[in-house]
Amino acid sequence: MLSSQDKIKHLYWRSGFGLSPEEWKKAQDLTLQSHIKHIFNTAAKAGNIKSEIQERSEAEFKKLSKEERKALLKKEKQLVIKQNAEWVVRMSDKSESAFLEKMSLFWHGHFACITKRSKHANQQLNTIRTHALGNFRTFVHAIAKDVSMIRFLNNQQNKKRSPNENFARELMELFTIGRGHYSEQDIKEAARAFTGWSSDFRGDFVFKKRHHDYGQKTFMGKTGDFDGGDIIDIILDRPETASFICQKIYRFFINEKINEQRLAKLSKRFHNSDYDIKDLMVHIFSSDWFYDKENVGTKIKSPLELLAGIMRTFDVNFKTEDSILFVEKALGQVLFKPPNVAGWAEGKNWIDNSTLMIRLNLVAFLFQATDINFKIKEEFESKKRNKAVRKIKADIDLKPLLNQYTDSNENETFEHLSQYLIQGNFKVKLKNLQPYLAKSDQENFIKSLALRLMSLPEYQVC
Amino acid sequence: MKRRNFLKSATLASTSLMVPAFLKGYNGNGILKNRTGKNLVIVQLSGGNDGLNTVIPFQNDIYYKNRPTLGIQQNKVLKLNDELGFNPAMEALRSVFDDGKMCILNSVGYPNPDRSHFRSMDIWHTASHSNEYLQTGWIGRYLDNKCQGCEKPYHALEVDDSLSLAMKGIQQSGFAMSNPKALKKATDNRFLRAAAEHEQDKEGSVAYLYKTMINTQSSADYLYDQSKIHQSKISYPATAFAKDLRQIAELITADTDTKIYYVSLSGFDTHAFQKNAQEKLLQKYAEAMAAFIKDLKQNELLDDTLIMTFSEFGRRVKQNASNGTDHGTANNLYLMGGNLQKAGFYNAGPNLSDLDKGDLKYEIDFRKIYATILEDWLDADASSILTGGLGKLSLV
Repeated sequence: MLSSQDKIKHLYWRSGFGLSPEEWKKAQDLTLQSHIKHIFNTAAKAGNIKSEIQERSEAEFKKLSKEERKALLKKEKQLVIKQNAEWVVRMSDKSESAFLEKMSLFWHGHFACITKRSKHANQQLNTIRTHALGNFRTFVHAIAKDVSMIRFLNNQQNKKRSPNENFARELMELFTIGRGHYSEQDIKEAARAFTGWSSDFRGDFVFKKRHHDYGQKTFMGKTGDFDGGDIIDIILDRPETASFICQKIYRFFINEKINEQRLAKLSKRFHNSDYDIKDLMVHIFSSDWFYDKENVGTKIKSPLELLAGIMRTFDVNFKTEDSILFVEKALGQVLFKPPNVAGWAEGKNWIDNSTLMIRLNLVAFLFQATDINFKIKEEFESKKRNKAVRKIKADIDLKPLLNQYTDSNENETFEHLSQYLIQGNFKVKLKNLQPYLAKSDQENFIKSLALRLMSLPEYQVC
Repeated sequence: MKRRNFLKSATLASTSLMVPAFLKGYNGNGILKNRTGKNLVIVQLSGGNDGLNTVIPFQNDIYYKNRPTLGIQQNKVLKLNDELGFNPAMEALRSVFDDGKMCILNSVGYPNPDRSHFRSMDIWHTASHSNEYLQTGWIGRYLDNKCQGCEKPYHALEVDDSLSLAMKGIQQSGFAMSNPKALKKATDNRFLRAAAEHEQDKEGSVAYLYKTMINTQSSADYLYDQSKIHQSKISYPATAFAKDLRQIAELITADTDTKIYYVSLSGFDTHAFQKNAQEKLLQKYAEAMAAFIKDLKQNELLDDTLIMTFSEFGRRVKQNASNGTDHGTANNLYLMGGNLQKAGFYNAGPNLSDLDKGDLKYEIDFRKIYATILEDWLDADASSILTGGLGKLSLV
């Protein structure tokens, strides 16, 4: 059995990005149940993200010269990087809802879109935040009308006279029911139902009547004059859709190895509640088995879980957005730029010799204790060769961590800090770390101890 | 046996296999007898190289009509046969072609081509269909498929700081290293070396991370030692790409247990003012490749080496208004080596009078080329690595 402390820690790592030193200190004053309540309450209070992009009408845009348009696109690209960096900061910010950020990250990987326009990225993020803990059925309806999705999966080109199946296919294969539960004919019929679902210049959804196919469609055994909304509802009526989504949630929040019995129960519950995501998540976090040892310390942190977790432990202030982008690129997870519509492959897929060495050295890089020498691959559009990055520009505030150990001796500090930083049943021995710790004063001792613990492979899991 | 002891003995075992090169017959001239295995070198031209201005159909009116300013004038083309010839920037590769060490495949592509760099490169890396999303690469799956010698973490090496999707498998992936000295420096971290020693009876994900860490450390040591065995005697151009190829040639010559090498040259996305930009790159490519071929040949290694050069797509037949070309579809692909079944042109040049909305139609599915390389060069079972019965070509 996990101690109540370790349960709380597990809850915060899986529902968010760990705890800051102060949060960890205070965590023990409350019961696990109160913590669960707390994270849901905080998530409910979080609002939408404001966009700073200036609206421009189509007429205005058309007046721009080629160079001006180019400059505009460049600016857009920079803004998306800024939105990306701000999201990372929110994940680590103690005044934000880490749980909502984590749910949003999950759904961003699920409804994976590559978005190059700042306004569209912001719009999609807000759609995700609105529904992240709401109703999955409503969520799918909303995402099918989301401009980033429509454009990324070519529904803009899906017209009665020349249907484009891209969105219809991925809707079933990746977003809802999964392979094996529909036919190629179902894809064709669904694509017809989504004809005319388009977006206008501003990025709002428009239904283009003249491109819509009003004919009869036969989809998953049902026949009627279906439009896209009907198709979504038919797919969601099927219990296999609940299983497919629960399986993904299980892998992301609980364990890559699935306990089939438990999954079946979760799926049934999710389907019976007509896709109440909040109910499902409350149930998972409140279940005893969620805190079983087999589910703790087994998940390889995604690059953003790792980075935001470090930023939560120390107050890390990146001086440029590019520094955050560098870490994301080197580790293989760039927000608003998933590898493809299937999203990020989690787990062991994060790890190869190159990403692992960056991960193990990440805290050392932030402390400027080790030089980096790493060149990011060129983007396809880029004409220049990238230069190797030597330093990450960031300020680190260690005070919140140091304040916890003003009266502790070496052993107490070690016991406490390793319990705080390492998840799961891994015992790190102080004597193995001793030769690498600074002894000059308490501050340097704690700093070197944290650095060493966070450089261990054990720190890579939660 | 405790895991730690096992790891120690595994390290010892691999050290004993690392017999100093001179004992293996390395004679100092770079020639090593009794070596085993064939080498595959994959060269990626990133950004979508304009194949039509690399291998030019100089007898074709349609080509010149579509490219009034970009077309390479007939008298400048380095003619290879009656129809096709190199861009003048490819001069250095002419002798390689004339020597029968090069095979050009025209109109290589796949059905329902995707014109996004990102997605099309994904398709080339994973060998997927255009509506299929795979999370492993074709070389990665080859490594996963228990190929001979594949248990070595450096069996497939990418000369770069990070690993491409093509090299990622589930159980095993390729190894990324831009240069042996830098990697050695990065892994010579006393703390992490010591941590490897204290690793005991770890389970699950953490055991996997330790294994990867220990493999990285021992590979860094091995590759660093290997890199010191042989210094190339050929003069390479002073470009980063040539440096990468030189690195590969030196490792191959030192009989390194790496059999697959991956290297990229980027910048081919020439939407505007293409001529200078592309020719600079082609020259960089051709001169480095020519030196590489010469180096391998001098060390009697060209017969054991196959080099494949590809790009994620070709470009549209018609030039655009900015004296460049936009994203296209099918493209040419180059094989080089000493053991080619058919030197010269594998098939006729692209049919410019039968286009698909202004783009070339593919004739050869690139996955057939992969299947041939896997079966006929690497002795693997392609059907367990690639999906669908694709058939093979007569290439090697």
